[in-house]
Amino acid sequence: MAAEDLPSEFDVVILGTGLAESVVAAACSRVGQRVLHLDRRSYYAANWASFTFNGLLTWIQEQNESQTEEVRDWSSLLEEGEELLHLSDTDSASITNLQVFCYTNEEDEEEEAESADPLNTTEEEKPEEFSHDVFIRSDFQTVTFLNQSQAAQTPGEEPEAARPHPSAAQSQSEPTRKKLSYAQLVKEGRRFNIDLVSKLLFSRGSLVDLLIKSNVSRYAEFKNVTRILTYRHGNMEQVPCSRADVFASRQLLVVEKRKLMRFLNSCMEETEEQQAYNGRPYLDFLRDQQLGDNLQHFLLHSIAMVTEDTPTEEGLASTRHFLRCLGRYGNTPFLFPVYGLGEIPQCFCRMCAVFGGTYCLRHSVHCLIVDRDTNRCRAVIDSRGQRISCSHFVVEDGCVGSDRKKMATRAVLITDASVLPGESDQQVSMVTVPPAAAGGPTVKMVELCSSTMTCVPGTYLVHLTCQSTGSAHQDLSPVVTMMFRTTESEEPGNEHGRPFVLWCFYFNMADGSAVEVEGHQLPCNVYVCSGPDGSLGHEHAVKQAEFIFHKILPDEDFCPPAPNPEDIIYDGDEGAAGQEENQGEQEIYLQNHTEHNAEEEEMTPKTTKEKDKNQSRPQTHRNTRSMQH
Amino acid sequence: MAGGSVSECKEYLFKVLVIGELGVGKTSIIKRYVHQLFSQHYRATIGVDFALKVLNWDSKTLVRLQLWDIAGQERFGNMTRVYYKEAVGAFVVFDVTRGATFEAVSKWKHDLDSKVKLANGNPIPAVLLANKCDQKKETSNNATLMNNFCKEAGFLGWFETSAKDNINVDEAARFLVENILANDKGLPYEESNGDRIKLDQETVTAESKSGCC
Repeated sequence: MAAEDLPSEFDVVILGTGLAESVVAAACSRVGQRVLHLDRRSYYAANWASFTFNGLLTWIQEQNESQTEEVRDWSSLLEEGEELLHLSDTDSASITNLQVFCYTNEEDEEEEAESADPLNTTEEEKPEEFSHDVFIRSDFQTVTFLNQSQAAQTPGEEPEAARPHPSAAQSQSEPTRKKLSYAQLVKEGRRFNIDLVSKLLFSRGSLVDLLIKSNVSRYAEFKNVTRILTYRHGNMEQVPCSRADVFASRQLLVVEKRKLMRFLNSCMEETEEQQAYNGRPYLDFLRDQQLGDNLQHFLLHSIAMVTEDTPTEEGLASTRHFLRCLGRYGNTPFLFPVYGLGEIPQCFCRMCAVFGGTYCLRHSVHCLIVDRDTNRCRAVIDSRGQRISCSHFVVEDGCVGSDRKKMATRAVLITDASVLPGESDQQVSMVTVPPAAAGGPTVKMVELCSSTMTCVPGTYLVHLTCQSTGSAHQDLSPVVTMMFRTTESEEPGNEHGRPFVLWCFYFNMADGSAVEVEGHQLPCNVYVCSGPDGSLGHEHAVKQAEFIFHKILPDEDFCPPAPNPEDIIYDGDEGAAGQEENQGEQEIYLQNHTEHNAEEEEMTPKTTKEKDKNQSRPQTHRNTRSMQH
Repeated sequence: MAGGSVSECKEYLFKVLVIGELGVGKTSIIKRYVHQLFSQHYRATIGVDFALKVLNWDSKTLVRLQLWDIAGQERFGNMTRVYYKEAVGAFVVFDVTRGATFEAVSKWKHDLDSKVKLANGNPIPAVLLANKCDQKKETSNNATLMNNFCKEAGFLGWFETSAKDNINVDEAARFLVENILANDKGLPYEESNGDRIKLDQETVTAESKSGCC
């Protein structure tokens, strides 16, 4: 915790704690590189972060505050033949069009009745930004819609808010679906984990493979996405995607079930018939299979998750990937991390730290020191003006002023019910919403329940994502209006209908899929990590991290398994410790067991003076408290 | 106890954090407690996540204690959430020979309470360890003062420990586990985490047997 100086020499300096940067950090540290990992933000995971509700409110405020960059002259730190290369210190372009809407009551009505001063009930939990008017700053495009009781408190810029509102009376007659107030959202704020990106892990995708291979998986737990839904003709429908689903489906006719089963079986192998469609739309191929509208819709939008003009070979590849992922962990191809996606970069950061990586948040790199002759980065100058030498520098794209051509559109909703209530209220749903009009963006929606530890019981967290065509609100508010209710809805009386939106926010985020690792007129030992890309999986970031790692260390293994804590052999002989490894800091020999049966093998030449024999190694670790009876 | 009927034995897995300033002896305490080892030479901790201590608490209770060391280089206090999440207890360690490490105790406790809470919203039980008491100068510590400090800062209690001479390490751990178990009994099972997935367990369901359609 102390504000001591950083060491002045590292092998790899990494700025930014997004997913790709964190994987590179863990990979380098794991094979013995000295890694310094910095982030100018006060939190981990950059644009991959997840926030508590209160943390998100702070983040929203910060997006509005422009940081003034103090340009200082660091030339005194230069040596012969070196020059400075300044980095951009702000990342203002990565988040735009941020708008916040609150549709629930500010205070809980019952609480107000019980206690004269309800604010006292929230004591420590209450953040400074509790007041609504932080959202109504004129320089910031955000608006709050409040119920009638609060209308008087808000500046009169929203005529809708002043309209008489029947929902308060309605909710009293429906005590089973009592809405959480804004005060309660704030009070329970720490139980939310709201992701800035919305992605899922394909159960046979590269991130799952990497987590398993590296043993970083020990830091995370996952939930299965329990169902695939699609929005069609104004209804939410469940997509049958596994054999069991197809048989159990009540919406499919028997003849459709047969056709679907035949198709799913036959598409796994490439046939001449399929090849004949290469270059032609997948939709044409599906049409010619005589599947009917229902199945065609499911296959195109929910299983292949492609658009109507996607070529057949691409559509088939996506379909196969989806089908291959079924059944590894559950009945859908997808996993979601408990506590949110922001956990994943942090898992890799922890692994990096465990292997000696140094971590510093709220700490940045102002400029690079470049050797004129070799065009290599020799050192960096950090935000305290310290010269830190390094052999390689990895940086997030926001710091090098890369072009942002593509933007993704996002909306996050806290709702009071599931879009498709089922037997269980603990469903994790992946929903595809095909374009309302031809050529429009397909909206991907993920609905999370409270057991994912991302929202409080009684609420759902809904993430919407699409490619940006206008501002986030322009792109997504039609979809939100179609599937949810707000205090602006035309028919707010229908309590059993669509879920009610308690609170939501819209924003655009730069899509990093087009950002190149090298180039950008940077020294040859500087590599750029792109921010989150718009696709559903994590393939882009993992591929990028592996590419950068092999650029830095062409001959090293990428993320070999970290040893199991119980396999580590403590060596009491201090004298031997120093000479074997010339690192001086090493006090522990690591015995790397990649296989469960490796315990019998003599893998270490070192004397194993003390090994706890009375602890039989369990097959698995649970990092969580667990109870078995 | 070994080989006892599984059905009669309650088994607990507790994640316990060991935090405090650089060089106060966190790793030494863990090594003393778990591996019965002590080394004079201080070195930063590399490659170790946590150490496991199995306690036969009583005839019906088995406690697996995961002691999570802070990775040596996370010394700038920027711990990942991975470290804190789902911890049920903590030791905050300072070095009695270095006053500055005691001054940092409140910062660590505050950081701890802001990052992790019990399911009921209460802070996780924390015990303060005044380590390296074997090197203590006479009466440099006032017990009444320490008691008051613990009360104010929200510690359950404090122990003078020495990883070197094996003083009070077991006692402190026993005290913390008692409190964790007491908390545990008071809490309802608020959720079943049974359907959470760890990626190293290949959960092969019936679905995959039938092939990918």
